[in-house]
Amino acid sequence: MESLKVYILIANRVYNDGIRSGLGLAVENHYAFPVIMNGEFPRFSNYMSENIAWIADMEGKVFSCGAEAPTDLPEGTEIANISLEELGERMREADFIIPYGLPKQSHEPPAACSE
Amino acid sequence: MKILQVYKSEPTEDVKKLVEILNRDRNADEFRLYIGEPNYDTLVQKIFANDKTVCWW
Amino acid sequence: MAADPNKLGIFVTSPQHMRHILGIAKAAVRAGKKVMVFFTFKSIHLTKSPLFYELAQLCAVEDIAICADSYICEGFDNVNDVPRGLIDKQMRTQAFHGAILDECAKYIVM
Repeated sequence: MESLKVYILIANRVYNDGIRSGLGLAVENHYAFPVIMNGEFPRFSNYMSENIAWIADMEGKVFSCGAEAPTDLPEGTEIANISLEELGERMREADFIIPYGLPKQSHEPPAACSE
Repeated sequence: MKILQVYKSEPTEDVKKLVEILNRDRNADEFRLYIGEPNYDTLVQKIFANDKTVCWW
Repeated sequence: MAADPNKLGIFVTSPQHMRHILGIAKAAVRAGKKVMVFFTFKSIHLTKSPLFYELAQLCAVEDIAICADSYICEGFDNVNDVPRGLIDKQMRTQAFHGAILDECAKYIVM
């Protein structure tokens, strides 16, 4: 089966599940590139960090576009910075582009769900 | 390469920039799902007429 | 297996476009195409819409599934509360999305 290049764009803080979805494709021998847009980073739980590391092990990569990636991530967990222009150019070679979940919210979340 | 850009909501500036790069030197078409009552027959026709579809948020 | 040129894959990641999903699926069937659909993460809430049952009737059993982990993570019971229109073997993993990429020549994200 042909290995496909799949970009998963995550624009909303609630939808970092796109990283898990990318891992699901990576274990099916596809190249998964989840992209966290504009600083909508997940909470870096052990589960999330392991997923990011595993995607890299499977020759994919997690990117941050529009905000600097955190530098204090657990060892083996890497998020690479990419500009919007670079992302567009890379995605020209993609087999699939998946804008995941919902778009970015226009307001900060309330305290009830901000932590 | 024929590429179809589908929008579920008004595209942001980031989306417009990405679409501009993706469409460069390609035969590009678009369909806006957020305007009026979409004609799904037309959309399906376009999906099958293009090599690739990107459906934005 | 080569992708089927007459098969449309729909990957559902948003919980708010059931009308579009059903509209596209119906139009595809009208055009003589097959439809393969996978619901993941918060989109699994759409299984509670009456339109979901209608969608399930348009697809072969092997061509529609939801992410069982997502369903459980959202608090639903994947054994005693299988969505109307599905049977237990349609509660699947992300591998079903991989199958859509492999089997469907055309693809849209909802």
